[in-house]
Amino acid sequence: MQPSYRSKYNTHVIRIIVILVVLAIAGIGVRAMMIPESFGRYGHYRGEAVVDEMNREIRNGTNASCLPCHPYIKEMHFSGIHKTVSCEFCHGPVAAHIQDGKVIDKLPKKQGEAIKTLCLRCHNQIIRARPRESIKMVEMPKHLEDKKVGIDHTCDQCHNVHAPLMWVKQAKAMMGVVEEEAKQ
Amino acid sequence: MKDIQAEINKGRRAFIKKVLEGTIAGSLLLVIPAGAMDIPEQITGMREEDGPFIKKKKFAFIVDITRCIGCGSCCVADKNEYNVPDGHYRTWVERYVIDYDDNVYVDSPNGGLDGYQVPREDVPEANVRDTFFVPKLCNMCEKPSCVQVCPVGATYQTDDGFVLIDQKRCVACSYCVQACPYSVRFINPVTKTADKCTWCYHRVRKGLLPACVNVCPVQARLFGDLNDRESQVYRILHEPHVISVLKPGMGNKPSLHYVGLRREVV
Repeated sequence: MQPSYRSKYNTHVIRIIVILVVLAIAGIGVRAMMIPESFGRYGHYRGEAVVDEMNREIRNGTNASCLPCHPYIKEMHFSGIHKTVSCEFCHGPVAAHIQDGKVIDKLPKKQGEAIKTLCLRCHNQIIRARPRESIKMVEMPKHLEDKKVGIDHTCDQCHNVHAPLMWVKQAKAMMGVVEEEAKQ
Repeated sequence: MKDIQAEINKGRRAFIKKVLEGTIAGSLLLVIPAGAMDIPEQITGMREEDGPFIKKKKFAFIVDITRCIGCGSCCVADKNEYNVPDGHYRTWVERYVIDYDDNVYVDSPNGGLDGYQVPREDVPEANVRDTFFVPKLCNMCEKPSCVQVCPVGATYQTDDGFVLIDQKRCVACSYCVQACPYSVRFINPVTKTADKCTWCYHRVRKGLLPACVNVCPVQARLFGDLNDRESQVYRILHEPHVISVLKPGMGNKPSLHYVGLRREVV
């Protein structure tokens, strides 16, 4: 008869099983606590995150968010050649101006040298990378010299920023003589 | 008798259902910020979309390099929309200068945020073969490598094709920043999470164009629905145009397409 090597005691086995069961339960518990409820609803991510992203604050509006309160600017801006330039590019986001239908702050107005810099973002001829057929380009200060105005003039002294040719056309209409002189 | 009772019960059930639906719809209307809704829709039909994802539309983004004048209005709008911290860019504009010896010079001072005020002095004028601006943004890959590498499921691709970031779940491990072949990702120092262009998902879902598309004065950025055969993007993508994506060899299948792309652009 072979001797039995099997121990009569099995407490160690029970101990290991108990520890494993406890660990498993703790693991499941921790997992349930750590993984957000909507995780895996649509894929390997938190489903609610889509809603979070969707509800991000809209800070830039569209031109339509500015124009109802600024009818005069609307008329001027859309009659001129700058009609494709968005309000918020130069003036800043509507959310910094209007919150819940109330004016909360004035948007900063660019003036002086700042306005020259702003205009030259698009109209600077010296930047060669522009497409061949594109918007009107000027070379500064050559443009000022050509037009016989002071070298320290800023763009908005001759050009209305909303309708750039409005004042120029008006001046030409009024001072037809001047233009003829210039031609001679 | 029982039939009548059942009928009444059905009526009650229907009534309660209707009331509940009404209240839910009402509460939803209250939740939506009023600001977006008083502006007319720019993408028609978006406000009728309900459910977690956009079903009827498949969006594509086209950047027309032959139109871009490098004014940087897109960058300005983007910074304003998201309050992007200084020195980080969700979208930026690069200036390429290529000379006759095929040397490529690329720069992007402050990401094009201040526009381009000074020319490149280091390339002799006579030797310039080609020069153009390339706006960059998230490519919204069909097979995004950033999603693949995210260890916590914080970067994901929605069923409507947008690759987004869960700001609450991201642990800023930067794996995605390294994995992106287009370098559009960065760690936002304010939120301490990964961040990138989302094609203005929050605006699009409310029927508005992405902020950069909305402000572009020369329509160099186009955003539209490929399911709509009348749309500009559909037309351009199905015309015999020179149209391409960045780094096609990476196999990410970007949804961002370029018109007038040169092979030097990376």
